[in-house]
Amino acid sequence: MADQNKIIVETKGTVAVLDIKGDVTGASEPFFSEAYHHPDADGTGKLLLKFDGEAYINSGGIAVLIQLLAEAKRNRQRVCITGLSAHFKKVFHMVGITRFADIFPSVEEALKEMG
Amino acid sequence: MLRETNKRQVEIILPTKIGYERMAMACSASFAKFWGLEPERIEDLKTAVSEACMNAMEHGNKGRSETRVVVNLWLEGGYLVVQVRDEGTGIRDIPGDPDIHKKIRKLEPPRGLGLFLMRKLMDQVEYNKITAEGHTVRMALKLEKPDLPAK
Repeated sequence: MADQNKIIVETKGTVAVLDIKGDVTGASEPFFSEAYHHPDADGTGKLLLKFDGEAYINSGGIAVLIQLLAEAKRNRQRVCITGLSAHFKKVFHMVGITRFADIFPSVEEALKEMG
Repeated sequence: MLRETNKRQVEIILPTKIGYERMAMACSASFAKFWGLEPERIEDLKTAVSEACMNAMEHGNKGRSETRVVVNLWLEGGYLVVQVRDEGTGIRDIPGDPDIHKKIRKLEPPRGLGLFLMRKLMDQVEYNKITAEGHTVRMALKLEKPDLPAK
């Protein structure tokens, strides 16, 4: 029923871009963990999480994201986010995610600012 | 199972299986669109219904496959009301608002956001209404145009 996760990791300059396909729920945890520790993401100082604007994100998925943000903070990595719908921008702001990750309207704008 | 229980009420009966909350979301969105809610409020409703159904499955019904979650939607007094019933005994420990700084520092578990989102996204939320049928969460969204034509 839910769209299976797939996270493609690629490097754009000094930024590791995690392209998150599909829904983000509690079941996404192993996919996020694998992507975070991918050779192209591991050790980089900057991570850009690119969400699918049509994706379903629930509180379990937000918890998975919080775990990633916690690990990134411990490793002194900057995390930015793009691809969110207006609704999930609002939700991420409500929860406080935006205190630990800046949200950008597009990959290009994020990379320009992060680069 | 989906049925219209009277002219302005719809009932959805879900198995206790994570993923089926998506059906309640879709039905709620259709119901809200039918009655003229704005797209932004429909998104709020979808997230709140999803969280209420997942709580009902995980905490109320404790994942037991023989149980069901019953979702009712209707209009009342200028509000769109959604009620989610499980077969549990209610919410004992109601979490306060999340502290993102504590969560990042792992001083607070990352989960436990569902009730918070329901409270923030809906205009009214009530829980711990216990009846012989189980525990009910009742949420409501104010209609932009309360004097709706009969459809």
